[in-house]
Amino acid sequence: MSMRLNHLVVSHADSTLVDVATLNFERGRPVTIVGESGSGKSLLAHAIMGTLPANLTARGSLAMDGRTFDLSDRANRRGLWGRLMSLLPQEPALALDPTMRAQEQVAEGAASFTADSSGARRTAGTLLAALGLGHASRAFPHTLSGGMAQRVAFAAATIGGAPVLIADEPSKGLDERARTELAGLLKLHLDGGGILLTITHDLDLARELGGDVLVMKDAHIVEQGRARQVLTEPAHPYTRRLLEAEPANWNHAWARRGAPPEEGGTALVSGEGLSKAFGGQQLFSDLSVTIRAGERVSLGGPSGSGKTTLGNVLLRLLPPDAGYVHHADALRGGRLQKLYQDPALAFPARVVLWDSFGDVIRRHRLEPARLEELMASLGLTPALLNRRPGQVSGGELQRLAIIRAMLLEPALVFADEPTSRLDLITQELTVACLMDQVDRQGCALVLVTHDNALADAVTRRRIPLGIRDLQPQDKKAFARRKKHAEVVM
Amino acid sequence: MAPFATGRTGVETGMPAQGGPPALPLVPAVRRRLVPGTAVQGVAAALLAVVVLFALIGPLAWPDHAVQNLSRFLEAPSLAEPLGRDHLGRSVVARLAHATQLSLMMAIACVATALLAGTAGGLIAAWRGGWIETALNGLSEAFMALPALLVILIFSALANGDLWTLYAGLALSQWVEYFRMVRARSALVLAGPAVEAAGLLRLGPVHVMRRHLWPDLRPLLTTMATFGIGSSILALSTLGFVGIGVRPPTPELGLMITEAFPYYHEAPWMSLAPVLVLTTILIGLLSLRSKEARQ
Repeated sequence: MSMRLNHLVVSHADSTLVDVATLNFERGRPVTIVGESGSGKSLLAHAIMGTLPANLTARGSLAMDGRTFDLSDRANRRGLWGRLMSLLPQEPALALDPTMRAQEQVAEGAASFTADSSGARRTAGTLLAALGLGHASRAFPHTLSGGMAQRVAFAAATIGGAPVLIADEPSKGLDERARTELAGLLKLHLDGGGILLTITHDLDLARELGGDVLVMKDAHIVEQGRARQVLTEPAHPYTRRLLEAEPANWNHAWARRGAPPEEGGTALVSGEGLSKAFGGQQLFSDLSVTIRAGERVSLGGPSGSGKTTLGNVLLRLLPPDAGYVHHADALRGGRLQKLYQDPALAFPARVVLWDSFGDVIRRHRLEPARLEELMASLGLTPALLNRRPGQVSGGELQRLAIIRAMLLEPALVFADEPTSRLDLITQELTVACLMDQVDRQGCALVLVTHDNALADAVTRRRIPLGIRDLQPQDKKAFARRKKHAEVVM
Repeated sequence: MAPFATGRTGVETGMPAQGGPPALPLVPAVRRRLVPGTAVQGVAAALLAVVVLFALIGPLAWPDHAVQNLSRFLEAPSLAEPLGRDHLGRSVVARLAHATQLSLMMAIACVATALLAGTAGGLIAAWRGGWIETALNGLSEAFMALPALLVILIFSALANGDLWTLYAGLALSQWVEYFRMVRARSALVLAGPAVEAAGLLRLGPVHVMRRHLWPDLRPLLTTMATFGIGSSILALSTLGFVGIGVRPPTPELGLMITEAFPYYHEAPWMSLAPVLVLTTILIGLLSLRSKEARQ
């Protein structure tokens, strides 16, 4: 079978969000759409599925197996879901039903479920075992790691035998190893003769999948071709811009690649003989860390290796099980600041940003002009301050968080995965803003990241972390439990 | 004080704050959009306003609720006596006005007390933790284990059914829900990264209270208080109805219904009037509540 998309236009009021002429999909040949957030790539996937939000209108048609579907009718493809086409959702940990065991929710996707539920459960069990999740088939989603939840979601999406699989940002929140596993799963679907459409801003995933790559910008496809060609010799300036935004290709004044480690200033934070365990698992033991003034250090390692925990111990937000952490006097009075992975959670959610910033300025008797100056130099309009955190995009909010941290002229900034939820171009802009300020103020930076290329581009010294003496599955399950424990705490 | 001390008012009015940053052009912020309520909510508010007006002005217009005139017992409604007279010849409208006033005042006092005590306890427990939290939590669980009616009965028995015992009993049976909700919600907010960041920024407890906790708790507390006023009024009249609430001859809605029941065939307006007031208050509060819940 083949699938063909004709003249798709998705619009909202007067603005066009997607405008694509013709797209052909063939069995066994992956199609990957890349582009920054807001380019309309996810909407394209949802227009094909028939899951667009009700306030958007779609035009165009979808030809499949000799049948043609009018895309303006959202309901006419509902009968195909699960049997002919299925969607692998973003952040599967959130998409799975938290109250159902893995095997149960996978079984629900089987076509035979209503007629023969025990047969469907057996099929689900076999499928999960084939994906290496036999031991986790009775597990609830919150006990699974990001990679495992991704595999359960994959099983649920494919158990109905749908030849068309649409994966929407499937690698969001996954570390490198989990992403490689994911690419393996998607290739598994292709090897079975399936059609695959992947929406991602992760160029590494696009490289691993191969096939065709489409670059989308402002509702239009600006370039398409073989993955190898598009991602090595881009023709369109926007594709070149996208490739340059990968941390490995950065070329900024503050980039640390190849530079010698900074000459140590005075020690700002010194931890001696630190140990921390969570849920009976040792994250690190007898670890000594010193962070000096003006230094740029990264904490690396796969998810669940204790990066964030070590950071919190060093910030004295969490007591270590053994050892002690000493802070220099230079860090007193708010001169130690932290940036969070999800900036929306780092601001009080129900008040406008102006109030949050006003409190900082009043408390520390700062010059209000300083806020204005910082906002201008980070390319933000003052009108943003009249919004609540939830009404500002992730990239802009992270820049506002950088401003808030920099208002106090910190001696040390601790950035916990500050860009892992942002697309490449926004990531580069955000990191550039951060490093600009770090350079200007000469403060020390600790960057937590699982992205080695980013760590290499920004910092010179690395503190690698990893869990020893554990099976991979246990590590992940443990990481998930730990996250859960942190939330409940 | 820093030059920005009036920043908040500045944003509210959309004007630059007094002595604040003159160069920062603030787009007029609509801080709390006044969502026009539905027609149902308009009617509910109007009904409640009528009841409140009746409770405020009624006792002044008909001050003598206890004057008996046995020769005019069970008199039918007339222009002078819109609801007629009861079996002792007392003015029903005067009794109804005083009863409504009593119910509303008692309910508001009980809810205000329970809300203040429960919120304060919940905030202290969530913020301080440790033995204070354990103690307050234990106390709240002890109250949860006791039926609310039993608490009120114990208090009535202590002081022979005085008004203040009813007030204390109702408030005591209600503070627990505020305490538990505020404690659970604040613990969640206080453990979040936003409060952690506020700590690193050295913003202090007033900021945490004003910007993090209060905006989060306010909608929940309004909803609970609206609902609490309704249930307090109902509880008070239930107690009156079964004869363990306010003692006669004080007019009370539940008590009035009980007293009027034997004469239902001769004077149905006597029992229907307090029922109508109760229904109006409860329907009004419940219809308003849906508006609160959506915020």
